[in-house]
Amino acid sequence: MSETLKLTDEEIVEKVRSNDRDLYAVIIERYKNKLLRYATNLVHDNDKASHIVQDSLVKAYINLNGFNTKKKFSSWVYRIVHNESMNALKKYKGEVPMLEDFDFESEQDITKEFEQKETAIYVEKCLKSIPLIYSEPLSLYYLDEKSYEEISDILRIPMGTVAIRMSRAKKLMKHICQKN
Amino acid sequence: MSKELKNITDNIMDQIHDEKIKMRPKAYFILGSILTFVGLVSSVVVSVFLVGLIRFSLRSHGPMASYRLDQILSSFPWWAPVLAIVGLVLGIWLLRKYDFSFKVNFKVVIVGFILAVIVGGWIIDSVGLNDVLIRRGPMQGIMRQYMQDNNIQGGQGNGPGWGRNLRN
Repeated sequence: MSETLKLTDEEIVEKVRSNDRDLYAVIIERYKNKLLRYATNLVHDNDKASHIVQDSLVKAYINLNGFNTKKKFSSWVYRIVHNESMNALKKYKGEVPMLEDFDFESEQDITKEFEQKETAIYVEKCLKSIPLIYSEPLSLYYLDEKSYEEISDILRIPMGTVAIRMSRAKKLMKHICQKN
Repeated sequence: MSKELKNITDNIMDQIHDEKIKMRPKAYFILGSILTFVGLVSSVVVSVFLVGLIRFSLRSHGPMASYRLDQILSSFPWWAPVLAIVGLVLGIWLLRKYDFSFKVNFKVVIVGFILAVIVGGWIIDSVGLNDVLIRRGPMQGIMRQYMQDNNIQGGQGNGPGWGRNLRN
């Protein structure tokens, strides 16, 4: 089992595809918390986010043969969650989100740099008050620690657009969050 | 943390073990690519015919003009646009279903492709490349058969343009 944990996502996907279905549990364990945080930042509703994550992971399994293992699995699965979240937002448009206090399971070491943690908390708090097109790349960058290239893959926008949105998002954050 | 999320691994793995959810076979994805490819090729075919028809209708004057246009309309290969549309729609639908690709904006792809096809078809007709295709190119068999079936006289060095050849 410990050897399995050393495998990359793409290597696990290869094994799942070649009949070792049980290994998909490793993928789920690796991603469920990260994806839940991402989905919650998009839909601002814990229950909907849970459903979105579950549906996305099911969808990912069903379409696993369509995944190109030369690409990053994380970008692919984040993209699926993005699509599912956008569908959910369209479906429940007009509903007021109910965000209760939510304790995410952290995979990070508690002793990790304080500054980084503080930034993450600050970003998370302010994200809700920023339009989605700006909050999403910001959330991916700060909370999910994705690179510009990965964000570009997930959102299907050019790297230049990611940079522009990031820059505007930071300005908006500064403007809005300093007010609060 | 929601109870549902805690059980998410078990929920999904149970569904996998009970075979309530199954992986789509590779053939499904290959079929999607093939259909898209067929759609694109058909679109190129139809573009040549369609642009030729448009150019012909724009140039057609004189007493026999409407007759010639009717003749072309009656012998127009309607299978080509139908196949092109069906192929493109099915292919893109299948590809969207599994969301395999990265940074592909389908709206831009479709609009860009249609524009490229129209411009490409126009250029092919203008430079007389379709005449070359009829005589020597990969379309030779299909084009000859099509023109024979519809009693259309092929271009024999009468200058560029399918429409122009039909007039002569």
